[in-house]
Amino acid sequence: MKFRTLGAVAIAAVVAVLIRAIYFTPIEALQGAAQKILYVHAPSAWVAFLAFGLVAVASALYLWLRDPRLDYFAESSAEIGLVFTTAVLLTGPLWGKPIWGTYWTWDARLTLTLFLWFVYVGYVILRGAVDDRDMRARYSAVIGILGAALIPFIHLSVYLFRTLHPMPVLMKPSSPSMPPEMTITLVSAFLAFTVLYVWLLRERYQLALDRAAASVVEYDR
Amino acid sequence: MTIPDNAFWYHAAYAVVVVVYAGYAVSIWWRRRAVARRIASHGTR
Repeated sequence: MKFRTLGAVAIAAVVAVLIRAIYFTPIEALQGAAQKILYVHAPSAWVAFLAFGLVAVASALYLWLRDPRLDYFAESSAEIGLVFTTAVLLTGPLWGKPIWGTYWTWDARLTLTLFLWFVYVGYVILRGAVDDRDMRARYSAVIGILGAALIPFIHLSVYLFRTLHPMPVLMKPSSPSMPPEMTITLVSAFLAFTVLYVWLLRERYQLALDRAAASVVEYDR
Repeated sequence: MTIPDNAFWYHAAYAVVVVVYAGYAVSIWWRRRAVARRIASHGTR
């Protein structure tokens, strides 16, 4: 599949999910229409965790194999994970305000997610601050691995601590605790956002390769 | 029991998501174009 085609598929899938969520998914009786934020909030969180998990895998492999392509992959996935975490941190308060009565509360899940965001902001800043390619790759690999260690704690924080944040409705051992129409929309959103991640990752990885090629061209002159 | 009228919040959240992801996709395209121009300018000298 050409990646321009993949981009079209990703955009079409996300648009289709938003249309289904807005027009063809029932409104939840207790929370009202604000509950529909779930269909962009939870899939964004899933993609962020997937992206940071893959950063950790690629970073560990880089420290072992020292292949710069693994560093470029980790850099690309980290940046995309940061963008999806930003979306999570923006949509969460927009959901919290009408339901909890506040945009933000310093409970375990929200605070850990904000901490995760800061860790990967640091990752991106570090990459811009270190000129030596090998040193930059090694330092950022360590941060990439340590940052991803937060993900299990964030997912389990609603079980470990008393928190305002609701329990998972889909990613849990028992069956989904939603009506089928809502579950189909949510699962579709998870798939569509994952395709969006794959497309963005491919494009961002190509940018990293192009930058490496450009630096070689400039060095050779 | 009446269903709360709070559609504004999910409209705002969907708009935020579209702006964030579309903005990021455009930023990748912009940066790739800048790098391609850099490479091209070195090749034609």
